[in-house]
Amino acid sequence: MSKKFIQRLGLKDKLLALIVPLLVLAAWQGAVSQKLCSDLILTPPLTLLNTLVELAQSGDLTLNILASLKRVMIGFLLGGTSGFVLGILMALSPFLNSIFGPLIKALQQVPEFAWMPLIIMFLGIDESAKYFFVAIGAFYPMVLNTYQGVSGVPEKYHELARVFDYKSFRYLFKVIIPSALPSIITGIRLSLGLSWMFVVGAELFGSDSGVGYLMTWGRAVFQIDLVMAGLILVGVIGFAMNVLLEIAEKRFLLWREPVDGRPV
Amino acid sequence: MKRFAFNKKTKAILGVFAFPIVLIGLWQLFILAGFSSARFLPPPYKVLQKFVILFSEPTYSHHIAVSLQRVMIGFFIGTLAGFLFGLLMGLSKTAEKIFAPFFHAIRQVPMIGWIPLIIMWFGMNELPRVLIISVAAFYPITLNTFSGVRNVPREYLELASVYGFKGLTLIKKIIIPAALPSIATGISLGLAMSWSVLMVAEIFIQTALGVGTQIQRGRDRFDIALVIAGIITVGVLGYAMTVLVQKIVQAVERGRVISTEK
Repeated sequence: MSKKFIQRLGLKDKLLALIVPLLVLAAWQGAVSQKLCSDLILTPPLTLLNTLVELAQSGDLTLNILASLKRVMIGFLLGGTSGFVLGILMALSPFLNSIFGPLIKALQQVPEFAWMPLIIMFLGIDESAKYFFVAIGAFYPMVLNTYQGVSGVPEKYHELARVFDYKSFRYLFKVIIPSALPSIITGIRLSLGLSWMFVVGAELFGSDSGVGYLMTWGRAVFQIDLVMAGLILVGVIGFAMNVLLEIAEKRFLLWREPVDGRPV
Repeated sequence: MKRFAFNKKTKAILGVFAFPIVLIGLWQLFILAGFSSARFLPPPYKVLQKFVILFSEPTYSHHIAVSLQRVMIGFFIGTLAGFLFGLLMGLSKTAEKIFAPFFHAIRQVPMIGWIPLIIMWFGMNELPRVLIISVAAFYPITLNTFSGVRNVPREYLELASVYGFKGLTLIKKIIIPAALPSIATGISLGLAMSWSVLMVAEIFIQTALGVGTQIQRGRDRFDIALVIAGIITVGVLGYAMTVLVQKIVQAVERGRVISTEK
């Protein structure tokens, strides 16, 4: 939706789009300069920018972003890969599906954050707990979308593969995965988005580095500018990850044209 | 969710019962085989015992009631606000152009990111908890109401102009009924989000009451049975709520008619 939206935007629309952000900024700055609320509670926009610049100059910014990104990557790889493999297995084997299908459905009923206390009891409050938590977030969308994609591979592709006598690996990499790719990529996108959300959650829970830590620290020392800077970082990085994946998606799926030649 | 269903109904019912039994059996075997100490992973009957203890006291039902109430209030506020906002953006292209970019930008920030800020602003009390629950419901309901309203078939609108429907009548008789399936999807998604964010609210914004609080308390006391009992409670309640809303949505959709009476 947002993609279509951006394409449609003309200049007039861009100006209209600026109304709310400008009003918010004005109200924000106004509230602080008119002393409607103390700058302990609401950092003025310029001070916030300043804080971000300071964080960047001191190197704290890069350090914490990298710490978070590392956790996202490891957790995402763990959860995403296992979801991917399990999704394929479940789609290809009705037996495995009847075992893992209900299990996943049952586990999915539990909000992910409810696992947090248990994970911390089992793994302690260190890195492995964070990886595991992020992996849980990455797992569900990946397994569901891979399963959906692979079970939706058209029957004629299977037939063609039989004609060519494609077996096991060749069958998997030449037929199944390429055909299920759109759905798999959707899974990756959702999965990475959730990983980012969960890493912030894990860091808020207890951590000594990362963007979430920046915010907890800001709260602890009552520096609201740090908290707000963290919030902006969380939003911007999440958005950037999504945009990068959208670009990658377009690249990867360029080949995908249906029989009638109409690009998808 | 349906895609995991078995093909036959009987098989499905059997599967529903077979699965937890197998899982519990494996869990028990895991402990019998000595892979884990009882302190670390209590055997299933301990968790069952915990449930019996918990439900024999009125406090646990009270925790559940508080959680449900919290979700309902937040969900109701979020649904109402999301419905009105989505309707506004769906009806007016100008409103969409003004609000949608800001809405999409704010939506990029994961709910969890707001926690430290809203704690600083509102303190550790009920308001921020209900607030993030309602925001969680607000996003999907806004999006789905918007797309439902925007995609009302042209024929319906033409029909409406033949009947001379305008303003509120048009919205009430044509637009909302036509957008209902999409709105219903938004409501189910919104409820799921609310329930999920309830855990965030209860675990991160410390409170005395609520199921999430109980899970957290179990962790503090190293009472793993309590933690597991809490997780099961949350899962079952969430599932029950999802099913309930699905049933309501189905009932509403069955009764859905594009009325031509004024």
